[in-house]
Amino acid sequence: MICPRCDSDTAHKLVDAPVNKAWEVFLCDTCFYSWRSTDPKELSDPKTYSKKFKIDVANIPKLAVIPPIPPLEKK
Amino acid sequence: MAFKDLREFLKYLDKNGQLVTVNDQIDPEPDIAAIGRASVNLPEGPAVLMNKIKGYPYPVAINICGGWANHALMMELPKETTVRDQFFAMNERWDKLTPPTVLTNKKDAPCKENIITKDINLFDVMALHRINDQDGGYYISKAACITRDLNDPESTGKENIGTYRIQVKGKDLLGIQALGYHDIAIHLREAEKQNKPVPIAIALGNHPLVSYMAGTSIAYDESEYDYVGALQNGVPLEVIKAEESNLRVPAGSEAILEGYILPRQRGVEGPFGEFPGTYSGARLQVEIKVTTITHRNNPIFENLYVGIPWTEIDWLMGLNTCVATYREMKAQQPEVVAVNALYTHGAVTIISCKPRFGGYAKTVAFRALCSVNGRTNTKIVIVVDENIDPFNLEQVMWCLANRMAPENDVAIIKGAPGMPLDPSSEQAGISAKMIIDATTPVPPAKMPKEINILVPPVGYQQWEQTLAKMLKK
Repeated sequence: MICPRCDSDTAHKLVDAPVNKAWEVFLCDTCFYSWRSTDPKELSDPKTYSKKFKIDVANIPKLAVIPPIPPLEKK
Repeated sequence: MAFKDLREFLKYLDKNGQLVTVNDQIDPEPDIAAIGRASVNLPEGPAVLMNKIKGYPYPVAINICGGWANHALMMELPKETTVRDQFFAMNERWDKLTPPTVLTNKKDAPCKENIITKDINLFDVMALHRINDQDGGYYISKAACITRDLNDPESTGKENIGTYRIQVKGKDLLGIQALGYHDIAIHLREAEKQNKPVPIAIALGNHPLVSYMAGTSIAYDESEYDYVGALQNGVPLEVIKAEESNLRVPAGSEAILEGYILPRQRGVEGPFGEFPGTYSGARLQVEIKVTTITHRNNPIFENLYVGIPWTEIDWLMGLNTCVATYREMKAQQPEVVAVNALYTHGAVTIISCKPRFGGYAKTVAFRALCSVNGRTNTKIVIVVDENIDPFNLEQVMWCLANRMAPENDVAIIKGAPGMPLDPSSEQAGISAKMIIDATTPVPPAKMPKEINILVPPVGYQQWEQTLAKMLKK
């Protein structure tokens, strides 16, 4: 399944609604975007997802690390 | 003591006409967020309990502390209490630090009514919902996160209770924002140096003062729980030990997520619609594995709607920020009368004081910019005279209009620490500070020219009371 936000083929169904399976929630294992089956196309379809909020997978390692990871202490 | 947990506070709000219950079925999106926005838009807007969310078994509560009426009721003050009077009431209680009562019997702690240790699925326990359209997912925005200092694990003072944004990244995986200046980041840094996980308990649906203190800037070795006791006029909060660690959790909370911070690991988190009214972008942030959930029967998921200010967060980090900053300053500068740090976590802070000597307003501003909250969050400090109410913006604007000469009374300090989420800063976490001295010059500073200030007519205070009584009739 293609992630609407980062276009990776790493999205999958995460859960069904606990009551009456009223909806499904999906999750991308690459960018951790999640959405519900009831969401509009602007939030659930890779073609119509907001370009401003798309994530380029190549840029993920360049994202700010918060907080920075300190050097390991020598024992 | 009027209430000991969220449920009792909901009853108290209801009794005081500050709770609305929605029993019709609503959708997780966009209804919960829309109700959150609407509730704070209403004058003295109510808390809202939503009982039937499509697809979820349990209710959601929102805007519990938003609005000055709810804020006053949280401290058991009359809901009409003015902001200034709430400030001084809180200040009066600030010293009454009272350690919590630690319960030993789980039967006395409602948060232990159900204990889940297998097949963790957060969606089974809470009605997770999207808050703003472009959030990276579902956020837990009003939790109290409890951690300890691994180098001093018995210290209850260094035990930290803080609210940080939390993204649900799986059935049992969370992302959390721990900014460098947050106390939780101190715990994390020491643990990551040793490649050790940090045990964490995340309390949801809390006594309102737990949520309130979790958003208050106090010293690293001070206990938020002790302050909850103080703000309750010396009545201790009830806590109990977590299942998997020695962390103390509020006994009456709706749910406790227990687990650990994965050391030396970061994953994509965000964006999230943040308190400045803008999205903060996606970043590589800390991750938490949830291993145990304890919860009350029919747990209420209390969450925070965050939008363009003001929303509930502005009350959650409002007067507490004012009083904490005031107390820090007052200890060394007794001339300080009151502090208004209500605007976007104190980004704009207004201080009234009686200047002791020429230029004193600037030293007052410097001290504010060194306070626990002010060193990062405060960008603009306005100093006014002691007879000006800093909570009365009409008076403050009068001072800016008439007592401040831009060529002499404004100072800019570049390259200081800033609030990383400030959309106006060029570099996240670095900001210029602006000091505006709107006080009347005292010697050796010179008045630009002689002024003669107007004096109210004799008898006006008595007439105020008379007219007010006539209005009530």
